[in-house]
Amino acid sequence: MEARPALSIQRSGGRQISSFGASAALSPSFPARPAALQESSPKFSDSQYISVERELMHRQPAPLSSNNGVVGHIFSSSSGFSTNLHFSTIEQQERHPRQPPFISQSTSSGKSVMLAHPVDSRVLQSTASSQFNKENNDSWCTETLPDFLDFPMNTTILNNELDVSTNGGIPVPSEDLGKPSDWQDWADQLITDNDALATDWNGILADATVADPAPKPSYQISEQSPNISMNQSQISLHLPGTPGEICTSGGQSSSANAAPAKQRMRWTPELHEAFVEAVNKLGGSERATPKGVLKQMKVDGLTIYHVKSHLQKYRTARFKPETPEESSEKKLASIEDLSSLDLKTGIEITEALRLQMEVQKRLHEQLEIQRNLQLRIEEQGRYLQMMFEKQCKSGVDLIKGGASSTSENALKELADAVQNSCAKDNLLVEAENNETKGETAKTSGETSQLVGEKQKAVEAVVLENPEPSAGEKSESPPTKRAKVDE
Amino acid sequence: MKFGKRLKQQIEQSLPDWRDKYLSYKELKKLLRLITSAPAKMSGSPSEYGKAEAEFMYLLNNEIDKFNSFFMEQEEDFVIRHKELPHRIQKAVDTWGPNGSQPSDLDFKDEMAKIRKEIVNFHGEMFLLMNYSNINYTGLAKIVKKHDKRTGGVLRLPFIQKVLEQPFFTTDLISKLVKECETTIESVFPPPEYSGTGIFQGERAAPGEGIFKNTVAALMTMEEMRRGSST
Repeated sequence: MEARPALSIQRSGGRQISSFGASAALSPSFPARPAALQESSPKFSDSQYISVERELMHRQPAPLSSNNGVVGHIFSSSSGFSTNLHFSTIEQQERHPRQPPFISQSTSSGKSVMLAHPVDSRVLQSTASSQFNKENNDSWCTETLPDFLDFPMNTTILNNELDVSTNGGIPVPSEDLGKPSDWQDWADQLITDNDALATDWNGILADATVADPAPKPSYQISEQSPNISMNQSQISLHLPGTPGEICTSGGQSSSANAAPAKQRMRWTPELHEAFVEAVNKLGGSERATPKGVLKQMKVDGLTIYHVKSHLQKYRTARFKPETPEESSEKKLASIEDLSSLDLKTGIEITEALRLQMEVQKRLHEQLEIQRNLQLRIEEQGRYLQMMFEKQCKSGVDLIKGGASSTSENALKELADAVQNSCAKDNLLVEAENNETKGETAKTSGETSQLVGEKQKAVEAVVLENPEPSAGEKSESPPTKRAKVDE
Repeated sequence: MKFGKRLKQQIEQSLPDWRDKYLSYKELKKLLRLITSAPAKMSGSPSEYGKAEAEFMYLLNNEIDKFNSFFMEQEEDFVIRHKELPHRIQKAVDTWGPNGSQPSDLDFKDEMAKIRKEIVNFHGEMFLLMNYSNINYTGLAKIVKKHDKRTGGVLRLPFIQKVLEQPFFTTDLISKLVKECETTIESVFPPPEYSGTGIFQGERAAPGEGIFKNTVAALMTMEEMRRGSST
């Protein structure tokens, strides 16, 4: 049912915005985004950003360069570009993506570096935030929509990328990727590291209504999130929650406000130590200011928002050691607390604590084991896949290579069939793989068996090659078989 | 027991803040059903299929982000607390300990008891975070596998590759913190007078009830997961 209104909006050339979530389209169709978003539409009727989204959804129309820009913005906010789903989808967009499995494309595209460039140019082009509407136009892959929308909602994604690509938590994004440095610069330009702005943002974010479309789009996005999608309400929790980490933002804008504030930083102990040192140098957690700490730490990629939020947490931890859980537990155990004066009870408590500790320790061990198991299984699956593809390729190449002009088509078809069967075999391998997850012992046996089976299957296919170039053919199978048997 | 049920159980018993941070397994399954019930991809009404598929992907990605941000936030907290703990212990020893500035056996014991409790809870919380990560990963793997099975897609492998790299799954840091915490605890707890035997003998109101209950649930979940096919 949601589909209908969405479609109608589309047809109306939608500037209208129902904040559609986006997941839109995959190649075949282009659906407007369903669900929850629709309710929020009235709110954002003006939001250009949203309209941009909608535009994104339009398949036909003109280029969504502005969208790209927006996305680019968002992207730029995240400096990290390690292979990442969202990222890849953007890449797809840039490259006129083909079809559904975002992931597959992304994996093929590999590094984010590729994206950086095109996005950069686009971003630079379409900085004018308020112009989004005008631009959205086709040439945008709708497929990326969902992810596109993701950006606003969760610039954390970007942050994650950032974090993933950093070592030891030091947030130096540009290291791993060639192009990101461009982005970083560009992003820095946009950033107005301004506390006042930050507070503005907070105020605006807090606002449920969007008064002024122009600078608001980014806020709207974050606002959207609560409305958007079904279960993603939790996202909104992040947004208004942490003043220091404003979501989305990044994109949009031309307004300098679009500081890509929302990058999740992965605080490692080393980073934290540097932080503590800086704080102590500045006279303690109460006296230290975020700016001062930031300067003192001299860590690339660390923004003042990170420092601010971290400082806040630090202060809380120091002067209010009781966590909510503990305080509630304290209520539960208040009686025990009082009686801690009683030695005997004290001992009981200690013993109980000790037991709890034992349980936790054991659980921890088991968890580690389980994790390792999972990782190994994945690795194995990957390995098998690789082997398969290798064999398939070699088989196919041989076939293709040996094709005579007359039977070329037939052979090619055969080659394709081999590939398809290889693909299917891959799935089969996966299935096998999964089944053995619960029983690691059997795994190695089964996989080797599988490999043997695959080899035979490939050989069989090769042998079935049509006659025409029989002469050449007869030679290739033996060669292929030899290869396979290796 | 089916994974969905187990997940639900785990969620119910988890700390209230965490409840909505877990994988929305049911939602994803619903979407999956939608996808499979939608007409074939290229025929008839491709829009439905495409839409459902897109929604599925969108949700998946969103879930990952959700995990990541929650995880990293918790991790940050843990790092801070972890560093602060020795300071507090030191302070307690210095103030109320036998050689401290204001030696007071009672206060000392009191404070140490508090600290002990905190450490144990801290340890528990960290462990729970790891459990959270693990459960979500399993859930993701399952749902994506289901997806591939029903739609014949090849989403799984590359997707899982990505997941493996995500912050929420790389729990090495937390693991390290947990271990360090365990050593700290050794020093804080007085030597055991008798070795505790059964795991669940702590019926006498374990002070860390919330966390303890949670870990028990986690233990049961893990055992079950290992029994059957947890893929």
